[in-house]
Amino acid sequence: MARVRDRDPAAFESLYDGFHRLVYGIAQRMLADPTAAEDLTQAVFLKVWANPDAFRGGNFGAWIARVARNRALDVLRARSARPEAEIPADLGTDHDLDDAVLSKIEGERVRAALTALPEEQRMPIELGFFAGVTHEEIARRTGTPLGTVKTRIRSGLRKLREALETSAA
Amino acid sequence: MNGSSRHDDGRLETVAVYALGALPEAEAREIAAHIAECPECAREYRALRAAANLVASGAETAEFAPNELQSQRMKNAIMREVRASLQPASAKPEAGALPVAPRVPWLAYLAAAACLAVAFLSTSQLGAVRAQHERDVAQVAQLRAQLDRQQRTEAILAEALQPAAARFPVGLGLVARSNGRIILAMQHMPAPPKGKVYQAWTLRRGAKSVAPSITFTPDASGDLVVELPGSAADLAAVAVSVEPEGGSTVPTSKPLFVRPLS
Repeated sequence: MARVRDRDPAAFESLYDGFHRLVYGIAQRMLADPTAAEDLTQAVFLKVWANPDAFRGGNFGAWIARVARNRALDVLRARSARPEAEIPADLGTDHDLDDAVLSKIEGERVRAALTALPEEQRMPIELGFFAGVTHEEIARRTGTPLGTVKTRIRSGLRKLREALETSAA
Repeated sequence: MNGSSRHDDGRLETVAVYALGALPEAEAREIAAHIAECPECAREYRALRAAANLVASGAETAEFAPNELQSQRMKNAIMREVRASLQPASAKPEAGALPVAPRVPWLAYLAAAACLAVAFLSTSQLGAVRAQHERDVAQVAQLRAQLDRQQRTEAILAEALQPAAARFPVGLGLVARSNGRIILAMQHMPAPPKGKVYQAWTLRRGAKSVAPSITFTPDASGDLVVELPGSAADLAAVAVSVEPEGGSTVPTSKPLFVRPLS
């Protein structure tokens, strides 16, 4: 990123090569529209180029993923004909929440840890994260009691964190 | 610590849902206020939010990957913009622009001057020159980033001002519809209160309620040019209100304006 801040196009190209699949993957998964996913990917990378100082250190992959997700949520919000309680309010980028333990985790390990979660825990987490829907909507879609959805989300996130902490150790 | 901020293990599951970003607006506000006053819940939130932030990495799979053609197409478009942003303004003359004196290649002169100076400097002085050079490079990078933002703003503004665009005045500026997009251009907008942002809202024809659009803040001078995501087709009105950071799903304050697009 230091070279990108120095306006080095070759460094930026390397950054694109390394992370565009992640950004596009998030956009495509959330928007289910290849054209919109391409537009979003371009917008995210051009934002990074225009304002590299927005990245304040930590895990670049996690950071750019949050940028991509928030942008995709903006698109979902704009698309939504039913704004009432459909999209969660907490869309902050939380730069300060990159904690030291998880900041070095690579995408491959995260995917492995996610895959290892029981389906009943992984599904509500992925629905909440990628579909931008509330726990009530998750309960409705999966036909699961609300309290059970909340319990599974918490158990899944705790298990994910423990697995990642173990793999980082 | 009042009753609502006293720790209760029963709230930890709600904290987890909040960390995932899957709570409805009202509940999210309530639990955020509680977390601000409850150290146990704040600790749980930080731990789970950091894990939730990494869930995005799960999207980088073959199922959602771009094909080679898409990867190359996006790369070409991005790098074209990147290279264009690095060209000096004099390399992109605009039709009808007034003649200006040729730009001095000052970066080249700066480098040459630095080389000459270095030849006469002692080792100790060399360190100071290098430090100064690094500061100059950082300043140039900052100026270029500023120029990038300015060029992007100008491009959007040009879009809003082109003859074919439909323009709808509002108190501090205008809403423009151009090439199927909605652009807001404002001046002298006051900075939103701490912890708040401006948020745009759109109303589709026949809809009974507005849909949330992007959040934004004006620059230090109060100027703002922003393009709303999504298509302008079927939009009947655009509104702007002040909302908590991160935006709202429904307006929580009286709109600054509601502008019908007709």
